[in-house]
Amino acid sequence: MLVQFYFQAPYLDHAYQQVLDWVQIIYLFTLGVGAINLIKIHLKKTTFRREAPYSAITLTGILVMLFFGLLQGKETGSVFDWVFKNVQVPLQATMFSLLAFFVASAAYRGFRARSTEAFVLLSVAAIVMLGRVPIGNLISDNIPDLANWILNFPSMAARRGILIGIGLGTVATALRVISGIERTYLGK
Amino acid sequence: MKRQQVYLLILASITIPLFLPLGLKHKVTPEVERFYQTVESLPAGSTVIVSFDFEASTIAETKPLAQAVLRHLFARNVSVVSLSMLAEGTGLGYSFLREVADEFGRKYGEDYIFLGFRPQYQATILGLGEDFAKVFPKDYSGNNLSDISLTQNVRNYEGISLIISVADGDLPQYWVDYAQTRYQKPVLAAVTAAMATTYYPYLSSGQFSGLVGGLKGAAEYEALLGQPGLGSKGMEAQSLGHLMIIALIIIGNLSYLIARKKI
Amino acid sequence: MDFSTSIAAILSLFIFSFLYRDNPFYKIAEHLLVGVSVGYFLVISIDNVLIPKIADPLFERKDWSVVVPLFGGALILARLIPKWSKWSQIALAVVIGVGAGVAIPATLQAQILTQMKASMFSFVPPENSIGWLYVVERIVILLGLTSVLAYFFFSKEHRGAFGIYTRVGTYFLMIFFGATFGYTVMSRLSLLIGRIQFLLEDWLGLLN
Repeated sequence: MLVQFYFQAPYLDHAYQQVLDWVQIIYLFTLGVGAINLIKIHLKKTTFRREAPYSAITLTGILVMLFFGLLQGKETGSVFDWVFKNVQVPLQATMFSLLAFFVASAAYRGFRARSTEAFVLLSVAAIVMLGRVPIGNLISDNIPDLANWILNFPSMAARRGILIGIGLGTVATALRVISGIERTYLGK
Repeated sequence: MKRQQVYLLILASITIPLFLPLGLKHKVTPEVERFYQTVESLPAGSTVIVSFDFEASTIAETKPLAQAVLRHLFARNVSVVSLSMLAEGTGLGYSFLREVADEFGRKYGEDYIFLGFRPQYQATILGLGEDFAKVFPKDYSGNNLSDISLTQNVRNYEGISLIISVADGDLPQYWVDYAQTRYQKPVLAAVTAAMATTYYPYLSSGQFSGLVGGLKGAAEYEALLGQPGLGSKGMEAQSLGHLMIIALIIIGNLSYLIARKKI
Repeated sequence: MDFSTSIAAILSLFIFSFLYRDNPFYKIAEHLLVGVSVGYFLVISIDNVLIPKIADPLFERKDWSVVVPLFGGALILARLIPKWSKWSQIALAVVIGVGAGVAIPATLQAQILTQMKASMFSFVPPENSIGWLYVVERIVILLGLTSVLAYFFFSKEHRGAFGIYTRVGTYFLMIFFGATFGYTVMSRLSLLIGRIQFLLEDWLGLLN
């Protein structure tokens, strides 16, 4: 996969395309392992009295989606589509919206400007928060411009440094994987 | 203050502005302007890839972003080849695409197509560069790609003018890493606010031709389109919410300083 | 207030009940979400990936090359059986190896070389810019980039002049984290605004 990027040859191209195709299928099975494991765990939990009702709900959810999705189809108006739009999406969206409350609670209880670094962090956060909403413009025309400047220059520069560092780490790890030095992904 | 009191404060600060809209104006940032101009400069009849790389958890941000982008594309008579590399984005992206396409009277198969879901982003992005039909033999509805008029003419990245990733994670970066590096395709990113700061280096280096971030970004884009939508609706609630968070940080720090002085 | 919207709203309120404390309603909603999500993923995977990529080539077109990834997938599934789980390492190694191979040129080009190129600029301000601001901005970019890279270089002790330079890097990192925090708060509040709008407008019809 690395060599074909640098050399043009019909057999290399063909092998490259074939391997890409196969990897997608194999990768799907890795995700499938997670799903099957979850089903196994919940089947086991149905034998424990306290957790049985909840695990039964999980397994029912899986079965309903599988049954209607594979037999009836997934088009608009199907049971599968209805459950996705009126059960899964609202539940998922609401679950993550709880984070707003936790952020507010953390802001009051935890975000202390105990050091200069923390003070810089909180000040920049306040400027960006004000600069990115219409009310910042109402307070002063300079706040949105300052927020923009922070995002495009000092913040961007720091992120670029992190990105280059991550890139170097990724290439180094990839070379270690290819040369067989890195085998932690095999559990060794 | 107990945590439930804090929760009520934040709930009130978000809910009250929804009943009392103030009509606050907002400035359009240069990165959103660049995104808009890139789409605006597409010739009519060009084809773009739109990738719905998000999950249901961020629908409050990604729906306004996706709708604004699709409205602009269809208003410019640009054809859309779309897909998703996340399972939930598949169902959501498909429904957003159909909703907006119906608004503009666009025909499935001629003006737009939804390929469906593929995991493993590297194989998907690289594979699409060679042949759409190799990665997606059939579209999301089960039609052969060889039977669809849009994909009879556009078979890989050669026929694509632009790639737009509407995302809540790392996937826009991978479109740059794989589609742009190998195939030199311009990439635009419409991302959630939480991911926006990570992509400014890509914007600065020109790897992204534009960047729209969060609900504010969606509101700015809607302002440029002249069509207020979901993005614009939430801006005042967002404003007061931010003021409340800043107030909570200040109050928290003041009470900490006072308590420290007493000791 | 139609039936579908009411179901979605009631389930949302079940999740919100967690703000008071953990309770059976929240647990029901949580377990239902897990079940429905996994079921959804399995259906999309089977219908949209496995059937067109494996079943159709194998049974309709008699393309036997599909047996190779199918065998790879079977090796992955062997992970579920403790006695055979070590065979899954072969397929995992293929997936990881492919990923590593394609990642090297892509990461080198996109994350390292292009970013470095973007940081190599002239200090001569272009005609339509504010001269001194342009120079200051370029200095900020270079200072930020190099000091952050210096901060992450742990092979040398952060002492003396190098230590001072890495401290500058720390402050740039704090600016980045502050900006990210501000945007993250914005993102989380947006998610809550979305849910409140849904409850008040779509369900109760209280907003115009």
